[in-house]
Amino acid sequence: MAEYFRARGLPVPPELEHPWYTDWRRLLGILVTLAVLWVGFDYVGFDPRRLQFDYAPNILGQLARPDPSICGPQNEFETWRDGACGLMIETIFLGIVATAISIVVALPLSFLGARNLMTVNPVTSVIYTVVRIVFTIVRSIDVLILVIIAAVIFGIGTAAGVVALAFHNIGVIGKLYSEAIEGIDAGPLEAITATGANRFQVVWTAVLPQIVNPFVSFTIYRLDTNVRLAPILGLVGGGGIGTLLFQNIQLLHYRQASFIIILIIVTVAAMDFISAQVRKRLA
Amino acid sequence: MPPALVIEHLTKVYPNKTRALDDISLEVQPGEFVVLIGLSGSGKSTLLRCVNRLVEPTSGRIVFEGQDVTAARGGELRRTRRQMGMIFQQFNLVKRTSVFSNALSGRLGYRSTLATATGRASKKDVELAFEDLARVGIIEKAYQRADTLSGGQQQRVGIARALMQEPRLMLADEPVASLDPATSHSVMKYLEEINKKDGITVLCSLHFLSLARRYGTRVIALKGGRIVFDGTPGEIDEARFREIYGEDAVEVEIR
Repeated sequence: MAEYFRARGLPVPPELEHPWYTDWRRLLGILVTLAVLWVGFDYVGFDPRRLQFDYAPNILGQLARPDPSICGPQNEFETWRDGACGLMIETIFLGIVATAISIVVALPLSFLGARNLMTVNPVTSVIYTVVRIVFTIVRSIDVLILVIIAAVIFGIGTAAGVVALAFHNIGVIGKLYSEAIEGIDAGPLEAITATGANRFQVVWTAVLPQIVNPFVSFTIYRLDTNVRLAPILGLVGGGGIGTLLFQNIQLLHYRQASFIIILIIVTVAAMDFISAQVRKRLA
Repeated sequence: MPPALVIEHLTKVYPNKTRALDDISLEVQPGEFVVLIGLSGSGKSTLLRCVNRLVEPTSGRIVFEGQDVTAARGGELRRTRRQMGMIFQQFNLVKRTSVFSNALSGRLGYRSTLATATGRASKKDVELAFEDLARVGIIEKAYQRADTLSGGQQQRVGIARALMQEPRLMLADEPVASLDPATSHSVMKYLEEINKKDGITVLCSLHFLSLARRYGTRVIALKGGRIVFDGTPGEIDEARFREIYGEDAVEVEIR
């Protein structure tokens, strides 16, 4: 193939001159990948031949017959709020409240974390860098770990879940907001500055109109994600429906667990649908 | 009469070591229509932006109507800025808001932070906004979103916004470079009108020499950050043209 180019006096494309299998770096890459996978499978002891299915038919059979009685109260001491349906609603609110708290903190910080607003002088540049590093650190701690820590401090329950989820979301939504601000058209900023407006007036007049839609869009996206995360928090002490699911699995109540799982799936799917619809209209 | 604008030994070196302006000195008399010409990258934009300190000069001094612009800080700088209107090649309107709000924003230098946040414009500002929008012939579009307007209309809103400042000096950075020839003339005519009727001094950069000849009372040519010509439009002959734009340049007319 390279001859075709040479015969016509044209430059030969590099990928024809040097096919991939002659490049030692690529060969090394493939070799390393294979080695890592081989060692990895050996290390974790994953062997499909040793998977056992003895209990599967029984458990799957129970899961296939969800028990809706878990929806309501289970004894005379419980109200409807203690049943699975009540706890599902509580968990949705857990996600909403956590999102709201994180927005209150992240919204003002996000302006300090936007490069285009903060490269005015060395002091503001330092603030920008610190804010973005804080966002990154906060974001990098997984919610489940945060819930375990929060449950130790505040006790097992929804309070721990709210605090952990809100904390994590500050890092995520703060970064999303900051990047939305960084993505705006700089022209109006320049023009409004030229009118003799102060920093606040510039942000108010030239920045805000440009970021309202992306902010609302990101907020709904995170609300969706947080409501989706909320049921899982209960598994490690964050309260809500996750705790009930965990208990029922421990007690081998698979029919009740099955109903709870279905409840969660329906909720998450509904959130996903609503969030996508709203964001589509905003775009 | 004292000069409207005095620039002394102005130099701007960007952080990437580009010497955008190299020891520029000039005086502009009140009421002049000064056209800046020169190749892209010759320093026209930087010069205009140094005058209202959107770009911080490296050294040199700018004096506007007796006030030292280069030394001004904080509120003093903002009060100086509000006396200088500016219009831009890309119009730089806030696209998602109405034409009317865009015009009103020209008034920000006169308004308090609180008045801005509560969104209450004074009666005088509202009247002035309609007056200036009427003047540039765009009043019937006042409540449309700015991005629904054509380029020429957007630039006219830009002029209205600048007029709201009740400026003494109008800075125009390639105001017609994104417009077609016919629209270019209509926008330039508004600039000519505010120069002649209101006596506002104009400092305007342009690409087309034909426009410079038609509207300018004085032409300053920049090349590599230095002034290579300063005189009347009529003085630019073939030889001068080649000096400004390079040996291979051919003049393109816009009528």
